Amino acid sequence: MGAEAIPDVHGHAGRPPSSCRPIVHCPFVAFYEVCFNFRMNTIEVQDLRRVYNASIGAIRRSRKEIVAVDGISFHIEQGELFGLLGPNGVGKTTTVKMLTTMLIPTSGRIRILGLDVVKDAKKLRPRIGFIFGGERGLYWRLSGVDNLRYFGSLYHLDPDATRKRIPKLLEMVGLSDRGEEKVEGYSRGMKQRLHIARALLHDPEVLFLDEPTLGLDPVGARDLRVIIRNLQAENKTILLTTHYMFEADALCQRIAVINKGKIVAEGSPAQLKSIVSDLSVIEVEIFGGVDDRLPALRALPAVDALSIENREQKQVLLIQSPAGAEAVSTILKLLDGVRVGKVAVREPTLEDAYIRLVEGEA
Amino acid sequence: MKELLRDLGLNVRIFFQGAYLSYLALFAWIRPPHYIATKVVGPVFYMIFFVLMGAYVAGRNDPSFYVIGNAMQTAALSGVFGVSMSIDGDRWGGTLIYLFGSPANRLALFLGRAFMHILDGVFGVIIALGWGLLIFGLDLSQTHLPALALTILITVFSTAGMGLMLGCLGLITRNVMLVNNTIFFLLFVFSGANVEIGSLPGWAQAVSSIIPLTRGIAAARLLIGGESLAAVGPLLWGEFLVGAAYAAIGFLMFRQFEIIAIRRGTLEAF
Ligand SMILES: Nc1ncnc2c1ncn2[C@@H]1O[C@H](COP(=O)(O)OP(=O)(O)OP(=O)(O)O)[C@@H](O)[C@H]1O
Ligand SMILES: [Mg+2]
Repeated sequence: MGAEAIPDVHGHAGRPPSSCRPIVHCPFVAFYEVCFNFRMNTIEVQDLRRVYNASIGAIRRSRKEIVAVDGISFHIEQGELFGLLGPNGVGKTTTVKMLTTMLIPTSGRIRILGLDVVKDAKKLRPRIGFIFGGERGLYWRLSGVDNLRYFGSLYHLDPDATRKRIPKLLEMVGLSDRGEEKVEGYSRGMKQRLHIARALLHDPEVLFLDEPTLGLDPVGARDLRVIIRNLQAENKTILLTTHYMFEADALCQRIAVINKGKIVAEGSPAQLKSIVSDLSVIEVEIFGGVDDRLPALRALPAVDALSIENREQKQVLLIQSPAGAEAVSTILKLLDGVRVGKVAVREPTLEDAYIRLVEGEA
Repeated sequence: MKELLRDLGLNVRIFFQGAYLSYLALFAWIRPPHYIATKVVGPVFYMIFFVLMGAYVAGRNDPSFYVIGNAMQTAALSGVFGVSMSIDGDRWGGTLIYLFGSPANRLALFLGRAFMHILDGVFGVIIALGWGLLIFGLDLSQTHLPALALTILITVFSTAGMGLMLGCLGLITRNVMLVNNTIFFLLFVFSGANVEIGSLPGWAQAVSSIIPLTRGIAAARLLIGGESLAAVGPLLWGEFLVGAAYAAIGFLMFRQFEIIAIRRGTLEAF
């Protein structure tokens, strides 16, 4: 799966003629790439900002400005799988909409494949593919195959070439035997996989996947991650958003952590992990409410970041601390009167780095 | 030259494929029972109702006036309801963002949404006229049939022009059905399907003159009464231009909707 080349819309296997990508295929650039291990940036984002004007109140309408993306800059190299990671409502989707020409930035600049997303939107659209997570965005009355044929017509693809390409795409996303069924009968995961096939239909060079595993069960999400990883083998440049650290860790070469519209950290998973390498994580199982103790706990010098995870009937306090095991007694003292279960001290993971980055701002 | 022709051929095929699939994808009455109830059975009841009403209230004993009027009025089922739902439907499915994110030619996309409904509407009018023949003994012996067919096509086209505009209004106002129902009954009253335009007050006649159907219905009545194509020519041109004007306004709204939605970030509001 995935490894075999999928015939492109022009009917032959592999990439379209190099004329589509003059810059990257220029011999000088190729030479440069080889000698200096330097690669062209496929995506460049500079000081990107987006402010929404939301109207609030039904009767006495007033306007309120929401700064969804607040001056972010990053770049993605050709062939890279880049993750934009952050909790709910921090501006990931807004960023992806701007990158995919579907939203005009308030200020800042985005260049993709050397094109400006606002000025050259028309030229850019045939060269990028995107999905916004969830089940919407497909024609539920049509079969999977007909959905793809329809989107093919929107991309001005030759109907014959599309017909040949569709079975390959369906196979790639594991829908070969369900393609003729109406989408309304698809499970959530099937719809999301069909979305991937849709986004690949015109063989785009760059892919934007906004929460592709949204709402999937662990198995469905894993299957989708396998598909995404295979895409990278096809030499696509991919930007992915997620709020799962482990997902970003499993897939991405580089991650930018975004919080409240700003990038708070950027680097490889290993680099991000080193942010917390000097810390230990203390896990304290508790039963019953502890909300009243949290301010005092957070105020402790030995507590760098604190978060709570719900696990069945109990909750787990995750405390990042430079003091490690020595902090345990102080913490337990503050939890006096609360039913405490197991207490453990462990090495930090990438998840902890993420928690620290998004908690630290709070 | 050869390449140009091949490109043209390809574009035509792409257009038809898109038009056909979007019809299947977005047409709310596509399920057979629903379709038959709305388009095949429904018009009969309208016809019977108005023929009887006409006989009692207006003392008109010639059913053909109502038969033709109501048969032509069914054009609006496809033209207004079908087309506007096809334009507005993408909002509900969340597909707008993928539609506008594609390089699709916007005019072809827009007109493609109406294409199958026009064929469908022509079919509907023919069925309704068939009922007229069967039940009310509509007499087509004096009729130049190709001219009647052209009249039907133009009339459905012009209602579709209206439908395209209403669909865009639906995209913007997010309430297509309210607008549609209002317009459908507006057409019903002012198009002359069931009343003589001449008997309407002046302001109402003014409304009649700027809506689709009015001229098409008048032309159909004349043709069935034995007039020639040349005699109804001006009516047909008028009907066509009314439809084209609505379609043009609709297209401007469609473009504007896209531009504004991308600027404001409201592409997915619903
Ligand atoms: N069309 C809009 N109008 C007004 N405010 C908006 C609009 N779209 C998003 N926002 C606001 O902008 C902020 C960022 O939203 P965005 O959808 O980009 O977040 P996100 O990181 O994708 O969140 P999630 O993980 O929940 O998908 C939020 O506060 C949101 O309420
Ligand atoms: Mg989002």
